[in-house]
Amino acid sequence: MSLVHVDDLQAIELPDGFVWRPVRRRFGIRAFGVNAYTALGPGGQIVEEHTEATLEHEEIYFVLRGRARFTIDGDEHELGPGELVFVRDPQLRRGAIALDEDTVVLALGGRPGAPHTVSAWETMFAAVPAAREERWDEAIALHEEALAEQPDSAPLLYNLACMEALGGRHVDALLHLGRAVELEPKWAEQARQDPDFAAIRHEPGFPV
Amino acid sequence: MSDRGYEILSIDDLDRYPTTQGSQILRPLRRRIGFRPFGVNVWVGEAVGDHVIEPHREPEGTEELYVVVRGLARFTVGEEAHEAPAGTLVHVPPGMFREATAQEAGTAVLAMGGKEGEAFQPGAWEDFFVAYAELRGGDPQRGRAAMQEALERQPDEWQGPYNAACFEALAGEADAALEHLRRAVELNRREVERYAPDDTDLDSIREDPRYAELLA
Repeated sequence: MSLVHVDDLQAIELPDGFVWRPVRRRFGIRAFGVNAYTALGPGGQIVEEHTEATLEHEEIYFVLRGRARFTIDGDEHELGPGELVFVRDPQLRRGAIALDEDTVVLALGGRPGAPHTVSAWETMFAAVPAAREERWDEAIALHEEALAEQPDSAPLLYNLACMEALGGRHVDALLHLGRAVELEPKWAEQARQDPDFAAIRHEPGFPV
Repeated sequence: MSDRGYEILSIDDLDRYPTTQGSQILRPLRRRIGFRPFGVNVWVGEAVGDHVIEPHREPEGTEELYVVVRGLARFTVGEEAHEAPAGTLVHVPPGMFREATAQEAGTAVLAMGGKEGEAFQPGAWEDFFVAYAELRGGDPQRGRAAMQEALERQPDEWQGPYNAACFEALAGEADAALEHLRRAVELNRREVERYAPDDTDLDSIREDPRYAELLA
């Protein structure tokens, strides 16, 4: 049976200080987006400060255990177990700090009126432990796996190119970055400022 | 929904609708907040042994995730049974049998579901569920409003008018019931003829000559 306790989910500590507990990925859910988050301790970030302006997701943040202080569009709200905040407007900035040691927040989200697609950030987050230890082959393999299903995902191609540039696969990095920019020109701008591309920035073929 | 673009609530603020059969209680979350990406609701088993999730499959391809948010549930998925304390996540693919009972009073499960590769459309079952529960609870007007939502959501599906006919027959409104039944027959005579004869919801209009005219 596919059954797991939230405490037994993989815990991936992200650079911004919160801990991602992959739920959708753990079960291979294809129909909707759902994840859990924990913090490193009371006062720690539990939901990253962000908007959904790019993905246009409606989101529900549900406090499964403990307490968290949410900041939504500048307003602070303290939520306990069984309480939730539904953020309809993707433009609103939202984030939360854990107030208890064992706080768990579930995040449910998706784009209204569209079939669910797996977000590129999930693959990027999943590759964080490998990237942190410079196991580039593993980080690259995770992106290739995701790209097999979404070959035209510009953000996936872009992140793959980052891993490849860092891992010394410069030809592949230029190829995939080029493809990302071809699909969505905005990535060229991002690439010019991205330190991940330091090693290939002066190569011919780097998008300018 | 406030005009702030966000809303805060507790699952205890949600309406409370006992089911017709079985013992579980629906606390409709998606409906209350107007969440559009996929289905999400809270189900509660009030007493030990009550169902939290009714025994069912999802034959139409809905993939579901259940999260125990309070208490202790006993889940059966396929042929396997497991104790599931608060914080447990249970994933069930479409078509597989599943049920859960409360092992502690007030056990609550957050249930979410959707279909792979399809944009979510709210199921009319939620409206029907709420409509019948309001009627049983003594508020046919609120029930009728929920039924109306189902009719508007799926104007060309026979299930809408058929359930509206059942609803009005139960409410003792024979004229309205027969009008809905006429529309249901128009949309899908075969299905109505299959279900209506054994449907006790329609008993109050069965002797009406107009019933015989529709379903001769």
